Amino acid sequence: MSDYGDSADGTPAPPHQRSPKRRRVYKDSENSTPRYSSPDGIDEHRPYHSSNLDDRRASNDRRRSRDSDESDDRHDRKYRGHTTSRSSSRADTPRSSQSHSPLDPPSPPQYKPLRVNYKQKFILRGHRKGVAQVRFSPDGRWIASCSADGTIKIWDSATGKHVRTLEGHLAGVSTIAWSPDSNTIASGSDDKTIRLWRRATGKPYPAPLLGHHNYVYSVAFSPKGNMLASGSYDEAVFLWDLRSRHQMRSLPAHSDPVGGVDFIKDGTLVCSCSTDGLVRVWDTATGQCLRTLVHEDNAPVTQVRFSPNGRYILAFTLDSCIRLWDYDLGHCKKTYQGHVNKKYSLGGAFGVSGTDGFIVSGSEDGDIVFWDAQNKNVVQRVSGHEGVVLWVDTCPGATGMIASGGLDGTVRIWVDTDEEETIGALKLEDEAAVNGYALDINEAGVNGDGMGGVTYENGAFGFEHDTPRDDMSVDGGGSSDKEQPGSDTVMRD
Amino acid sequence: MNLALADPFAIAQDYPETTTGHLFNGHACALRFNRKGDFLAAGRIDGVVVIFDVETQSVATKLKGHIRQIQSLSWSHCGRYLLTSAQDWKCIIWDLKDDTMLRMVKFEAAVYMAELHPANHLKFVVSLYEDQPLLVDATENITRKNNFSSIPNRDADVEISEKQAAGDAKTATTCALFAASGDHIIAGTNKGFLNIIEVETLKTIFSTKICTGVVIFLRLTNSGRDMVINASDRIIRTTQLPNLTADPDTITIEVEHKLQDMVNKVSWNHVAFSSTGEYVTASTYNNHDIYIWERNVGSLVRILEPTKEEHGVVEWHPHRPMIVACGLESGKIDIWSIIPQQRWSALAPDFVEVEENVEYVEHEDEFDIHPQEEIQKRRLDLEDDVVDVLTSKALQDTNGEEIFRMPVNYGLQDSEGEEEFVTVGRGEMRRKSPTEAREYLLNSEVVGSTDENQKRTVKKTKKR
Repeated sequence: MSDYGDSADGTPAPPHQRSPKRRRVYKDSENSTPRYSSPDGIDEHRPYHSSNLDDRRASNDRRRSRDSDESDDRHDRKYRGHTTSRSSSRADTPRSSQSHSPLDPPSPPQYKPLRVNYKQKFILRGHRKGVAQVRFSPDGRWIASCSADGTIKIWDSATGKHVRTLEGHLAGVSTIAWSPDSNTIASGSDDKTIRLWRRATGKPYPAPLLGHHNYVYSVAFSPKGNMLASGSYDEAVFLWDLRSRHQMRSLPAHSDPVGGVDFIKDGTLVCSCSTDGLVRVWDTATGQCLRTLVHEDNAPVTQVRFSPNGRYILAFTLDSCIRLWDYDLGHCKKTYQGHVNKKYSLGGAFGVSGTDGFIVSGSEDGDIVFWDAQNKNVVQRVSGHEGVVLWVDTCPGATGMIASGGLDGTVRIWVDTDEEETIGALKLEDEAAVNGYALDINEAGVNGDGMGGVTYENGAFGFEHDTPRDDMSVDGGGSSDKEQPGSDTVMRD
Repeated sequence: MNLALADPFAIAQDYPETTTGHLFNGHACALRFNRKGDFLAAGRIDGVVVIFDVETQSVATKLKGHIRQIQSLSWSHCGRYLLTSAQDWKCIIWDLKDDTMLRMVKFEAAVYMAELHPANHLKFVVSLYEDQPLLVDATENITRKNNFSSIPNRDADVEISEKQAAGDAKTATTCALFAASGDHIIAGTNKGFLNIIEVETLKTIFSTKICTGVVIFLRLTNSGRDMVINASDRIIRTTQLPNLTADPDTITIEVEHKLQDMVNKVSWNHVAFSSTGEYVTASTYNNHDIYIWERNVGSLVRILEPTKEEHGVVEWHPHRPMIVACGLESGKIDIWSIIPQQRWSALAPDFVEVEENVEYVEHEDEFDIHPQEEIQKRRLDLEDDVVDVLTSKALQDTNGEEIFRMPVNYGLQDSEGEEEFVTVGRGEMRRKSPTEAREYLLNSEVVGSTDENQKRTVKKTKKR
């Protein structure tokens, strides 16, 4: 576990247009902030963050009213970053541009704006460190969450009750995935292994999948459940045959750590992304690279996800954008902006409201942001997490539930509700809390050093040497201007 | 969903060219793909049926029930049920959801071949060695077996001569299968007749002498419109099946092509159609070659590179250019397929592959310098296409029918206490150590240092 930045630096990089090398940071986030994100980047967020927090209470109403007087802005194509709040300017621009297009509507003549109203239902506490990923099981009954504390927890999605804690990884768990039958969980960890767990008993299958030379960042089950794709910090994407537990294929994927992998719903394609700014699409059967998607800015891509119908790829990049790619044509179809994503590997999901699709993602300012997939408007922001929201997942099926996990170590369940009254937020304490672990949120997650003293039961691995999920961080070295020219400059105008 | 991205030239390639590997798990002697082509069932000479996952080339499950060599395999339409017949005079219908025997039917003679009804997975037709062929209905708990005649249907007014009567007495059905609708049985006899039997009445409605020798094997295309007939007269015949529901008097079956090797006069062990029925492939008797004919004109297009042994059953993947065949001596399953070429332009999106030199013409505004924000703004403004992230086009694929997904057993290797033997030399056998559980995997597919990793894995687990 020496300096992995070295190997990355060793690869020949084209002189221009290459974002500076990212390097994993071993200390917890806040201590070493100056190392990987420009100070002014942080400063810039702060006012945004606070101002938004201030008027969040009223934000719902405001959002509605803004929708209603949309017509006023119609021909106002100017960015109004100075005068109005950031979110509104972001939201309006695409809409106004759309109305300009003469070819616009053979499609729904009257576009009914998508409206969601999510409220927090449960707070699930128990993880002692940041929650890296939260995933609904395919049958919607369970939620699995994994954390930098090395555990995976299973929760009942309907009641929010803690069902089971899966322990066995020797380091933080960065990623989890459900098998299609909802009976098995795969997890990838910083201890370089991938483990399979039985959901019903909480026991792991005996032999872990070994082969990655570095942290495992992302795992995805094939839709048939016979294969697993994994992406790792060692820059490789592996396809595993889960029956014999051997590595079936190694995809010579990227020249930088692989952030995310995903399977298309019929299992014929795998996509992977890396901090080298590329999204690659692979043929599962042959292991061939079929397409590479790259944005001009070459921003590091930290997560990818196929759309529910498999026609698009959603890519999360560290320039605070989420891009929807038509991978067939190789075009970026939509850019969703309005959240903050500069150093963490944030994750989001596609959701359905009525017949319309929305996109939901976490944000580094503690919000969960919902976008209309069609017109790129931010339709809702909810807050609750104290600190970065690392992962948001939507429940399969009609319930419309979403779950989020954050750096504060909590998992939160949100439901779409028409009623205005708030749901009595039920706080469910995990037995771990009863067992006397420190649960102070501030300590547990936001200030990373709060957990410096906690040592994992296994003894061998102190967490001082371990890396929690603030790991897809960027060693920007003050050059973030170069990296995110678009979003930043737009804001400053 | 990868079709849109795949190399068009690779898709246009219809038939396999090179050996791409092999599967081995015991001595296989019967093969059959399921309809979707994701699983390959292999019957072994010890009566075990191994089901391979075609994608991962690993063993999905093993079915143990027969005690003698497997004779034939037949998948149900949905892929959940598998009918196996063996030389232990039994047929078993397996439910692959939990690998249990759904029905076991015993017969009075060895089974040549058993084929499932296309719609009803509890109904099948068997042809027996020196016995009357049977239509078996196992829908209820008591299995109903109805035999039907092997004797060809002749004009009623013509008197049957003594010689004919004697011949009729010796006639036996050597293979039988259902037509695509499931309303008719097509049966071939040892006298070279092709009989069509109505399922409802079990009457032979039509017969024709199709060849001079024994009809060894029949196979329909996926659509059920074409049939290939392998006969002992060393000729493979292809025909188009007529509309069987029409008036029996109007039915005619004409041989479309006669495929044979005029020079070597080889006879054929087994035949199979390609996915679309455009090609026919056959394994040769006493020979190592596998022939592929194009059915449109009936010409030989390829003889696959020979391997070390003669092949028995040969099968074509239901929608990929992939042929599998099992060796008669070792029972190894050889695979022929296409090795795709990586298109380098897929790796570098800024480049395109061009056929010839193209003169570069610079656009008027190509190198204009615009402020970043303007570019960004313009880019965002362009994103006004309607996107549909939810509805999928491929809905008609399912047709509303129940999709069966075979459960994946992640603990298979852990629970496998089965003793297996491997040959280490002539007449020498060695018990396979549990660490070598990967023997059957495709060797050529293992990339680079995987082997080393695997060994390390083994060591580590041992230590624990």
